[in-house]
Amino acid sequence: MRHIYTIALLLCGGIATAQTTVTGTVTDGSQPLIGVSVQVPGSTSGTVTDFDGSYAVSVPQGGDSLVFSYIGYQRQAVAVGGRTAIDVVLDEASEVLEEIVVVGYGVQQKSDLTGAVGVVEGEQLTDIPTQSLGQSLQGKVAGLQIIPSSGTPGADAIFRIRGVGTLNNADPLFVVDGMILNDISFLNPQDVASVSVLKDASATAIYGARGANGVIIITTKQGNTTGPGQLTLNAYAGGQEVVRTIDLLNATEYATLINEADVNEGRAPRFADPEQYGEGTDWQDAVFRSAPIYNLQLGFSGGSEQGSFNLSANYFRQEGIIEGSEFDRFTVRLNSTREVKDWLTVGNNLSLVYNTSDNVNAGGILGSAYRADPITPVRNADGTFGNTATFSSTGNPVATIFYANNESESYRAVGNAYADVRFLDHFTFRSSFGLDFDYDRNQNFTPVFEVSTIQRNEESDFSVTNSYRRNWLWENTVSFTNDWSVHHLDGVAGITYQDNFGEYLEGRRQRLIGEDPSFFYLNSGDPITSVNEGGPRGGDWGLTSYLARANYVFDDRYLLTVSGRLDGSSRFGANNKYGFFPSVGLGWNVSQEDFWNDGGLISRLKLRASWGRTGNDRIGDFAYVPRVASGLGTVFGREPVLLPGSTVTALANPDLRWEETTQTDLGVEIGLLDNRFLLEADVYRKVTGGVLFSAPIPDYLGAGAPVRNIAEVLNRGLDLSASWRETRSSAFSYSLGGNLSLVHNEVLRLDGEQGDFFAGGLGVGGQLGTNSRAGFAAGSFFGYELDGVFQTEEELAQFPQLGVQQLGDLRFRDQNGDGVINADGDRVVLGSAIPDAILGINGSVAYRGLELSFDVTGQFGNEVINAKKMARFGAYNYERSFLDRYTGPGTSDTEPRITLGGRNTETLSSRFVEDGSYLRLRNVTLGYRIASGLTDRLQMQTLRIYVAGTNLLTSQEYSGYNPEIYNDTVFDNGIDRGGIYPIARTITGGIDITF
Amino acid sequence: MKSFTTLLVLAGLAIASCSEVIDRSPQGEYTLDNFFQMEEQAVQSVNAVYNQLRQWQTHVFSFIGMTDIVSDDSDKGSTPSDGLFLQEIDEFTLTPTNVGPATVWGGYYTGVFRSNLAVERIPDVPEMDEQLRSRLIGEARFLRAYYYFNLVRWFGDVPLILEPFPEGLEIPRTPRDQVYAQIEADLRDALAVLPASYGGVDVGRATSGAAQALLAKVALTQGNFQMAADNALAVINSGRYALLPNYSTIFTEAGENSSESIFEVQAAAFEIGGGGSQYNEVQGVRGTPNLGWGFNRPSDDLVAAFEPGDPRREATILYVGEVLPDGSAIVEDNPNIDGERFNQKAFVPDHPGGNGNGPGNIRVFRYADLLLIAAEALNELGQSEEALTYLNQVRARARGSNASVLPDIATTSQAELRDLIYHERRVELALEQQRWFDLVRTGRAAEELLPLRPNFTPGTNELFPIPQSEIDLSQGALTQNPGY
Repeated sequence: MRHIYTIALLLCGGIATAQTTVTGTVTDGSQPLIGVSVQVPGSTSGTVTDFDGSYAVSVPQGGDSLVFSYIGYQRQAVAVGGRTAIDVVLDEASEVLEEIVVVGYGVQQKSDLTGAVGVVEGEQLTDIPTQSLGQSLQGKVAGLQIIPSSGTPGADAIFRIRGVGTLNNADPLFVVDGMILNDISFLNPQDVASVSVLKDASATAIYGARGANGVIIITTKQGNTTGPGQLTLNAYAGGQEVVRTIDLLNATEYATLINEADVNEGRAPRFADPEQYGEGTDWQDAVFRSAPIYNLQLGFSGGSEQGSFNLSANYFRQEGIIEGSEFDRFTVRLNSTREVKDWLTVGNNLSLVYNTSDNVNAGGILGSAYRADPITPVRNADGTFGNTATFSSTGNPVATIFYANNESESYRAVGNAYADVRFLDHFTFRSSFGLDFDYDRNQNFTPVFEVSTIQRNEESDFSVTNSYRRNWLWENTVSFTNDWSVHHLDGVAGITYQDNFGEYLEGRRQRLIGEDPSFFYLNSGDPITSVNEGGPRGGDWGLTSYLARANYVFDDRYLLTVSGRLDGSSRFGANNKYGFFPSVGLGWNVSQEDFWNDGGLISRLKLRASWGRTGNDRIGDFAYVPRVASGLGTVFGREPVLLPGSTVTALANPDLRWEETTQTDLGVEIGLLDNRFLLEADVYRKVTGGVLFSAPIPDYLGAGAPVRNIAEVLNRGLDLSASWRETRSSAFSYSLGGNLSLVHNEVLRLDGEQGDFFAGGLGVGGQLGTNSRAGFAAGSFFGYELDGVFQTEEELAQFPQLGVQQLGDLRFRDQNGDGVINADGDRVVLGSAIPDAILGINGSVAYRGLELSFDVTGQFGNEVINAKKMARFGAYNYERSFLDRYTGPGTSDTEPRITLGGRNTETLSSRFVEDGSYLRLRNVTLGYRIASGLTDRLQMQTLRIYVAGTNLLTSQEYSGYNPEIYNDTVFDNGIDRGGIYPIARTITGGIDITF
Repeated sequence: MKSFTTLLVLAGLAIASCSEVIDRSPQGEYTLDNFFQMEEQAVQSVNAVYNQLRQWQTHVFSFIGMTDIVSDDSDKGSTPSDGLFLQEIDEFTLTPTNVGPATVWGGYYTGVFRSNLAVERIPDVPEMDEQLRSRLIGEARFLRAYYYFNLVRWFGDVPLILEPFPEGLEIPRTPRDQVYAQIEADLRDALAVLPASYGGVDVGRATSGAAQALLAKVALTQGNFQMAADNALAVINSGRYALLPNYSTIFTEAGENSSESIFEVQAAAFEIGGGGSQYNEVQGVRGTPNLGWGFNRPSDDLVAAFEPGDPRREATILYVGEVLPDGSAIVEDNPNIDGERFNQKAFVPDHPGGNGNGPGNIRVFRYADLLLIAAEALNELGQSEEALTYLNQVRARARGSNASVLPDIATTSQAELRDLIYHERRVELALEQQRWFDLVRTGRAAEELLPLRPNFTPGTNELFPIPQSEIDLSQGALTQNPGY
């Protein structure tokens, strides 16, 4: 009835002429509140409060109430009752319920959200000593998998939201203060105010063609508009060491096994007396070191009602746990905002970054440390490097480090400037121009040296690569918000353009006139050896997008969100250039219903449902047209000359279309015991159709694979997060939270048939390790199942063999029972790199100034292929597990007879598939906040000191450094080829001061 | 209201100014849409077909493994644990996942693709010299025939793909006879349009002589002796080719593109690289100093195969301790050499760009080979007397000035002569990647290899396995060769 009345009023609004003006001030009890929306329900009349919190609003005849609404505060309706002056005090929204969540192109109250969005506040991100925001996010959000896959100093983490819905790059989209980016390696975690993880389609569809992998929205810290200016100082320093090493043989064991392999392979044993070699060299010990890590951050912030600023400067330095690697980064950030007119506000967010690094070839060094024979010393008595090629056909890893001179430096500027124009009371127009620019320089010098025939360089060699990449984004949006009576409506619509381009230049010369760094320039090299390269690099693409979203809230109880985006991308051919990505979300705040008993056990209950479609365009540029490769020259002539050659080398697909993910999400949010216990659970089902991938094609086609829409992939799962927070007294509080993500990943369809889809090179004779056949998880490991070891001649006769096998060889299971072991019928799924469950647990206890907090992370149900163990192209050192070898009937039914290489090691079987589950004490921090008496004397606001330990304890089955092995595409996941820089255990001490 | 107007203007500007951000084309490179528009591009597309000849996948590591090492001419060489897939090939324990067959399969089909593209597109290049147009198509067809010839000899039935972008990805094997018919058709077409020789910077391109000589070998391989003899004699009688006086010169720089050369893969070691191959490196002397990897070690069987005093043995086999062809003595009295003998025909003197930038042309087809084809075909046709002239030309050159060795052959017994010609092919062409194909072609693989390699399985090992990855990726359209 009341609604009909409202509508009638709306329709008749134009007739009413008599009106009064009401004035007043809105405060939070002490401070004035600026920008509070003041609406007269049932009319078009409304305004916002000014800098003093005061307002003046016309109330038409029949207008009997005012509604005051402000983000972060409870909405309040006040009856006018003939008054002309009304002062209002708004209550802050209760802590969790009215949390403000940053979403795409706007902010929303958490209670109004229909989408699945996980939020992490900035203060939760600074415990882990790292330059990488990703690494600080591990274990914090249900549905977000963070993989610190490399321990390289300065390395970023890999993000996966709700499984892997593509066979392409599965990285989410990043949005930093509105700037849309593909990576956030430049971000300093200490500058971050909040992180929103958009998971379902209701939240991500506004990012259309790039939303399918989820979206991470990062907001950096802004200055306060009230209170005095602040100066903050944060510093920490610590040490790092490798978390664990691989169990390899010592020199005596090595010589013993190689001798045995020689005999098994019909040669004379090569080592006279294995015992003489003793322990020998521990190559891992020789390449790893304890390394320091430092961080210093200075912050300045302040502001007034007219505007604010936040300026920070940071220096971060991390030496690597592999000798010779190092990363240094300087970051400066300035965020400011200023109201120029009462209808106009301008602002900027700007980050400037300079970093340098000394790079090592971790793959080569760790590969050699894994393979090098322990007999050879690191250095010979005369100081020259030991020749590891003699026995183990590999380089000396310490020499590799010694002769490496690879340095990079990079400059990056990311920022945007915007203007907000407020008009017609409820509307704001924003134009924002953002730029992401980076300039990188890499140089590499190799001196003349000779360690062995396979590790030498005959001519000194210098190369330098300069590259830049720029990415601009221009967004023009109009947003709208209005409250009337029990209704709330807000929305945004806009047009955006984004354009990315990059280019590189590379030069190389040999025979430098000097070997000292002052000669590391091209002009020091012999001009006759000059080679140069260059061209576009770093992406050549553009997007034109049209977006819109509306949120409607009825009486705080019923929620509706509708959004959509029309994206046009240069990555697609003319027929499929544009794609439309809609979504709809519904919510019901059950606990806002009149029938709900407010005093009960359940203090809050909200149900959500959403459906929508998003896309993924992470394929190479111009994949729709065959390109002509040059540089395929050929030699002719009696006096040979190189004549240029060019042709097509890869196929293209003119019919490329968007990869589309359709996602359904059902969520529930529950608060118990006055919201001290909070539980949020979402079940989702994500089906990605037309998955784009340049799947390998048969070599007989003679050209590289085209990108095709080849597959349909399902991810369904459960995101669960729960927390318990209690403040027992002003002196004692504690909290405990946890999140659990369950994912089921499955390829539903492949190329319209039930075929195999092999990928994932193992580095062993072109062997492919994964098969993504329909019904399997994407990138499932696929090989023979181990059935035992041929113990006796009878077994050799009894069981089928793979080719010609002998005593002590691995016996593979004849899966199809046809009496033959062959690749066609006997290979099965041996595991997958996608975990069934990911776990994060966070807790803290505070007593007076003392606070202890911890993070635990884990993943379960994933496997790893230990591919490095399979690749044996010489008398490499062995993993300790080889000691359990077969040496005669009854000795071993799992490890075969020892050989240098051969089918037992070079064939993918369950022998090399290991459990990748782990549980890790990710961080423990013990901090002490100095009592205010002392800080007052020191003229500080706060002073905190702490010690923190990261990656202190790990429980894992996997024999390698770390089972978290992930790469851009799902096919490389979980395949350990032995080249991944291991993660470190870190102990730091630090201090935080606010003046 | 004023601000609203501003908004409209701005929004209008935005739409107007940026709609081109999604209309882009690749920078710094051609696409198939704007390539094949000029004569120079037609030339470049055919150069790219030649380019593939020099690559690792085509004429280097696996290629040597699947021609010499697999035969009785050589063993794997190098150190025992290096290149184990070649050991499997040498010992006939290879399986369908062996990297050797997979490598050449990919390498040769890449050449086929590039040929197909040139053959399909060059006819439509506007405004180019018509003679050049037909020559280029002829070169591409010659190379396509060459690529298919090795494929069909290694694998038997293979997918016969004659267009660059066939319908569908799953293509079954074509019976070997049809593959041979296509090879012959390509060679006949090439023969008709290719010039007899080239000058200047075109020396090294396929000639009509090369096409006809290859046609003779293709015929011989199929047992079509009349066609083999006819084509071989046509080339011989053209008078364009002659044996070099000194056998060992053939494999030096002076022997490249000589009168004896019918077709060579051209390579050169430029300072800046880009023209070399690893053919020399993988067979180079292994040790310190490091000249190569030491693969393709001449076998004891090969050493014993030479007649007493045959100078070709010294020209073929590089023994540690001998002075090298370029006069250097680096392997003389050097204890740091891994292995006792190497393929001397692949030796190249010091050159720019390191070992991997080998300058040696790969002698694919030389005149002595053709003379022996003529001899063999004529003998099979019962013209043994005539066959002898060609056989003895080869022996006479090998003998050089030393009249006491390699006497002329006089027998006219067809059977005796057949074996003598087989033997002559072996020693004349030793370690030139001919032996395996000769053994299989003449049906003697089992007979010659079983005594040396007990794992050799007659009926299976005459062909290599179709790479497992290809069977997998073809969704089963490809079938495996019997026995694998």
